[in-house]
Amino acid sequence: MFEFLSVFVQYADQWGPRLAEAAVVSARISLLGFALAAVVGLVLALMQDTSSALLRGVAKGYVIFFRGVPVLAILFLIYFGLPGIGVVFDAEPAAIVGLGLAFAAQMAEVYRAGLSAIPKGQWEAARSVGFLPGQVLFLIILPQVARIVAAPVIVTFVALLKDSSLASLITVNELVLEGRALATEYFLPLHIYIWVGVMYFIIAFPLSMLAKLLSRRARLGTR
Amino acid sequence: MDFLTSTILPGLLTGATVTITVTLASLAIAATLGFLLALVREFSGLRLLNFAIDAYVEYLRNIPALSHLFILYFGLASIGFAITSIPAAIIGLGLVGSAVTCDIYRSGFSALGKGQSEAALAVGMTPMQVIWLILSPQAFRVALPPLGNYALQLLKDTSVVSAIAAPEIMFYARSMVTSTFQTTLIYSSAALIYLAMSLPLAWGVTRLEKRFGGATDV
Repeated sequence: MFEFLSVFVQYADQWGPRLAEAAVVSARISLLGFALAAVVGLVLALMQDTSSALLRGVAKGYVIFFRGVPVLAILFLIYFGLPGIGVVFDAEPAAIVGLGLAFAAQMAEVYRAGLSAIPKGQWEAARSVGFLPGQVLFLIILPQVARIVAAPVIVTFVALLKDSSLASLITVNELVLEGRALATEYFLPLHIYIWVGVMYFIIAFPLSMLAKLLSRRARLGTR
Repeated sequence: MDFLTSTILPGLLTGATVTITVTLASLAIAATLGFLLALVREFSGLRLLNFAIDAYVEYLRNIPALSHLFILYFGLASIGFAITSIPAAIIGLGLVGSAVTCDIYRSGFSALGKGQSEAALAVGMTPMQVIWLILSPQAFRVALPPLGNYALQLLKDTSVVSAIAAPEIMFYARSMVTSTFQTTLIYSSAALIYLAMSLPLAWGVTRLEKRFGGATDV
């Protein structure tokens, strides 16, 4: 056991900086992908609330498609498939777009759950005392929705962060791919992949705990 | 078009049988092991054991499945425990899944009122009887819709086992691409095959949610 652990110490100065650099790439594609998902997801959620059957249908179809197809298949389709019809992405933008579009479907569901928890009467009441529609949305509805969706939003981000590991399979030089490079260089795959796992854990675990705390609090607030 | 029906579809469908096998086998491991973990975590009352289960669940849930699979497949082989790719895929996804289902079952148990076990104990049932006959059947009903959602997620997640050379859909897709270069056609066919499998499952999950109540936040 001691021998096993001492390997980590022995190679810390060689693996540490390279995996830290790769972690920055993982964090970057996760954050940018999540930003895209948050925006597209909100549009999808609002589309499903409109009176236009066409908009509702498009949004619904989008959610069904992306909920039914693996993220990996979407990444391959964007990175390897689209060049076949003349659309070429670099690896990193392809990963961001793929993760963003895939998780937008999930974010749409999160927003919808939040929006449906606010009684319609609040809209009517706020309008009748003279609030403008935009004011109702931003001053009254969204602050309440934010409180409800905070926990599931974080949970979705953690899921996206974990799926950002799939970007290694379309040659993005993030944690897992850097881990593979190190594994072939040093022939110590067990140690290296454990280290890679720990890097994800360091980011994901505090977020998961925060989500748990927030969801407990949101539940108490509604009682 | 001929090429699609003569080469691409048969290849992808061969992969689909492995996808289904891996999904069902790891679902079986996850659903059983997760239930045992949840039972121990909810009812054992042993602090050390509870801590170990929490650590197990958080470790598996906060690290990508791909990372776990590499540890199992490449990592263990390097210290002499070689596992072939399909068993590695099933064990890896099954263990990760057991952490997910453990949380699902636990929220099922916590949805039940405390009065139930008190009442059952008061009429003379043993604690084991209370757990098996009163609490578990109800917790299982509450857990069904999120379990269905998990199964849907698992079906899609099996695509990552292509990275450890398990010959499922994405693996066949990649190897056909290297020999034919029909990237757009092959990858969109692969996406559609996943969709063909997940749509009925998603429909079933929606029905479960209607029947047994909405999703809990796991």
